[in-house]
Amino acid sequence: MSTLKEIILQHITWRRQILLLAKADIIKTYSGAALGWAWAIIKPVITISVFWFAFTYGIRSGHSVNGFPFAMWMIPGFMAWFYMNAMLTKGTTAIRNYRFLVTKMKFPVSTIPTFFSLSNLAIHLCLMVIVCLIFIATGNFPNLYWLQIFVYIFLMALFWTSWALFASMLGCMSKDFVNLIKSLSTAVFWLSGIMWDVNTVASDTIRHILYFNPVTFITTGYRNCFIYHIWFWEQPLQLGIYLGMLVVMIILAVWSYRKLIKEIPDVL
Amino acid sequence: MDNNREVVVELKNVVKKYKLYKNDKKRFLSIFMKKIPYKEMRAVDDVSFQIRRGEAVALFGRNGAGKSTILKMITGVTFPTSGEIFVNGRVSALLELTSGFDPELTGRENIYLKGQLIGLLDKEIAEIENDIVEFAEIGEYIDQPIRAYSSGMKARLGFAVNVNIHPEILIVDEALSVGDKAFREKCLKKVRHIIENDGVTLLFVTHSTGTAKEFCNRGIVMKKGKMTYDGDIDHAIELYEK
Repeated sequence: MSTLKEIILQHITWRRQILLLAKADIIKTYSGAALGWAWAIIKPVITISVFWFAFTYGIRSGHSVNGFPFAMWMIPGFMAWFYMNAMLTKGTTAIRNYRFLVTKMKFPVSTIPTFFSLSNLAIHLCLMVIVCLIFIATGNFPNLYWLQIFVYIFLMALFWTSWALFASMLGCMSKDFVNLIKSLSTAVFWLSGIMWDVNTVASDTIRHILYFNPVTFITTGYRNCFIYHIWFWEQPLQLGIYLGMLVVMIILAVWSYRKLIKEIPDVL
Repeated sequence: MDNNREVVVELKNVVKKYKLYKNDKKRFLSIFMKKIPYKEMRAVDDVSFQIRRGEAVALFGRNGAGKSTILKMITGVTFPTSGEIFVNGRVSALLELTSGFDPELTGRENIYLKGQLIGLLDKEIAEIENDIVEFAEIGEYIDQPIRAYSSGMKARLGFAVNVNIHPEILIVDEALSVGDKAFREKCLKKVRHIIENDGVTLLFVTHSTGTAKEFCNRGIVMKKGKMTYDGDIDHAIELYEK
């Protein structure tokens, strides 16, 4: 408990620096490239286009879901996946990549995953603006359900920032862990209901197991905003499981921080 | 030295042990299992001393004597296994040559980042920015990413930043032995200046006893993690060179 308090206090004290480092992280990723910022958007757009093509003319041959073309159905969840995938894989090396902050100066290590997450979140917000524009352009105007997006973004960021703290602490200790998570990324993608609807799985057991995947909750939730128009409290089981997973993740993050904080400067 | 001045650095029975595992896999497993065998290395063994404001102390010892570990612990980047460390004041540390730069950002961006990280406002950084660029003598390169710098340039910029951000405690680990002779002289002059005028406390690791003698009147000698002498600089040099 005192470790959690310490982590929160560090975030409050260093809030200005956290924002600055998040900004620097974005600049760093895209500066030096001729198209700069555009790359943050280009990669997702290409991925989405390819999937849209495959699923409109290929695999699903243009079936619509709830009155929406499959591509439109898929886009919101996919956008969330871009953020979550970055956090899942690159999150493991967040501290490793900023080792100069750990070994060369006094800096609160617990805030490194946070500014890494914020920098990814900024890009995610840009993408979400594009999503909203796509929906508006196709005649689906904003309604009250869209407001839930902020709830989902908050819940998503909280989970994945905790994950990044947990995973990047372990990632400092072992490259095996980093590689393990990277190779799991594809599995997580296909088990997360990004390309298909988890709620239509016939077997109760399997469906309930899938609810324990935090990616599922967010992608399904985004769809509830744009496509199905369901409030987040209307599915208490899914919400409850997600909140439970969130608590577990925070506990794991605090545990790994407390366990490893004194060792990390010596191994990096 | 005036014993009435406040203590700015204090080490109390500080011990630092490193755990050496057979490989990274064993180290990773040790997070979850307690029974993984490891060897223990005592880098610093029961060291205690006090440093008062305005003192300039040289730390002598052969490679592996624990000097750098002590400096790192005072800087706050690594933690003692047991014992206590008190530090009172803004520490500016030149640990190794490329002290805390982000290789992907430009020199100028790094000056700002570093300044912001230690809590300076943009306005305050702008005031010292020119001094830093001028002192580092890297000219046009200031707007290039640090990864394009030569090691000498990195070291010069590192030194320039650390002495210009108004440190209260300056920790220098071998860094004064970088660059050509002219730049070294310039660094020494600058260090002398801030010690005399700003009351900066200096903690200095070097193998060059001549330089140490010039700055410091107190020397600490380390041998295999233990402190073997703490006192007059001349005597310390004598012991170290023996």
